[in-house]
Amino acid sequence: MLRNSKLGDAMLARSVRWLMAVAVVVLGAAVAGCGSTPAPPGAGTAASVNLSLTTVPTIRSVTVSPGNAQIGGCSGGLASNNTKSTTKKLGFPDGRCWFGKPGPSGIFPIRITNKGIASNIYVSGSSATPADNGTGWTLCNIGRDPAVACTGRLHLVPGADQYLLRNFSRLDKPDYGGLTDDPACDHVFGRSHSCLAGEGISQTEGIELVGPASSSDNSTQWTVTITWMPVPQ
Amino acid sequence: MHLRLWAVGLVSLLMLAIPVAAEASIGVGIQAGPVRLAGVAHPGGSYALPSVYVVNTGTEDESLAIRIERLSSGQGRPVPAGWIRPGAAVQLSHSESARIPLELVVPEAARPGQYLTDVVVKGSAGLSRGSATLDVAAATKLEFQVAPGVVAGSWFAVPSWLLPGIGVVLLVAAAAVVARRFGVRIEIDRVAADAAQLQAGRRDASP
Repeated sequence: MLRNSKLGDAMLARSVRWLMAVAVVVLGAAVAGCGSTPAPPGAGTAASVNLSLTTVPTIRSVTVSPGNAQIGGCSGGLASNNTKSTTKKLGFPDGRCWFGKPGPSGIFPIRITNKGIASNIYVSGSSATPADNGTGWTLCNIGRDPAVACTGRLHLVPGADQYLLRNFSRLDKPDYGGLTDDPACDHVFGRSHSCLAGEGISQTEGIELVGPASSSDNSTQWTVTITWMPVPQ
Repeated sequence: MHLRLWAVGLVSLLMLAIPVAAEASIGVGIQAGPVRLAGVAHPGGSYALPSVYVVNTGTEDESLAIRIERLSSGQGRPVPAGWIRPGAAVQLSHSESARIPLELVVPEAARPGQYLTDVVVKGSAGLSRGSATLDVAAATKLEFQVAPGVVAGSWFAVPSWLLPGIGVVLLVAAAAVVARRFGVRIEIDRVAADAAQLQAGRRDASP
């Protein structure tokens, strides 16, 4: 038994030595073959050409550049109440201010550019927020099929705590009812229901703001946000 | 002479700076290809959607965040916003891009069918002009299909009582092993009573 065990140990040791020898040979061959073997005579030399490729954009993107204009040209309000608009301050009721100037020879300070693939350009407004975060003014619309009807005089002007935002361009759209909370086709990018813009297409726009008949909040600082967005066709 | 040179240099620098300031813009971009779930979803399941590529295409630093809102026209049920859990907002400089992860969590009561909504990326900054802030966003489609049948439980799911039960059995087994190895030993020694005590005992016992 003891003899058999010793014999087994000896055989195992011999096989391990064999394995080690084979491993050393394989390792040596691998190291020797690592790029140091010269190419056989007559073999072709490998060559490669680097090609640079530019693809069309695969993103949907829009940029907005507001220029250097400021909100101004305000009018409306009631002098007898001491709430008449001044050049840069909105008055009550029915005060009106401009970012730009409408008409064929107008000023359209906001440039909207489609920087990605062809997309519909949507635009939306936000409620006006007072500096004290109190009661804001909600957006309303005029014309046919308003999303939220203005409740002021003849439904042509905003009521209490309502306001109207309209974007305009050189070519006016007379029946345009104004921006809504929900993003909708920007009419400036299309005369019909479409507002499709190809890559690189840009438009310039201005904004008209009509204030409420009256305001529940007494803040004199208000913020409104207008957002442009490219949307899949 | 030196003063005049300095003035010319200053004016030139200003001339260069003015167009840069005038061209300040905000812009965001999102992948044009729709976000699609590979395979189908099942009610009660949660799935990692492909992350969404977003990029700052404006000149200003922006924090970009995503929200879910149906804007695209097309077939497909609307997706309640609570079903999609977007990753955190990312802060990006001009031309920088990132990927924002999305997770789809389908409630058990979800109806089978094709679903369609949009992933909207929006910048936090906006450009202010007096009291008006101009902002940008961009949208891409999100599509997935919900197939009938509640999602199957995982193979290692176990009844709730099983784990505490296994714990109790293991505790008892451990206590048995410890008791066997270090248990209390009781030794009983028998001592032979002497003759007088035995005699007294017999007398007490007789009637």
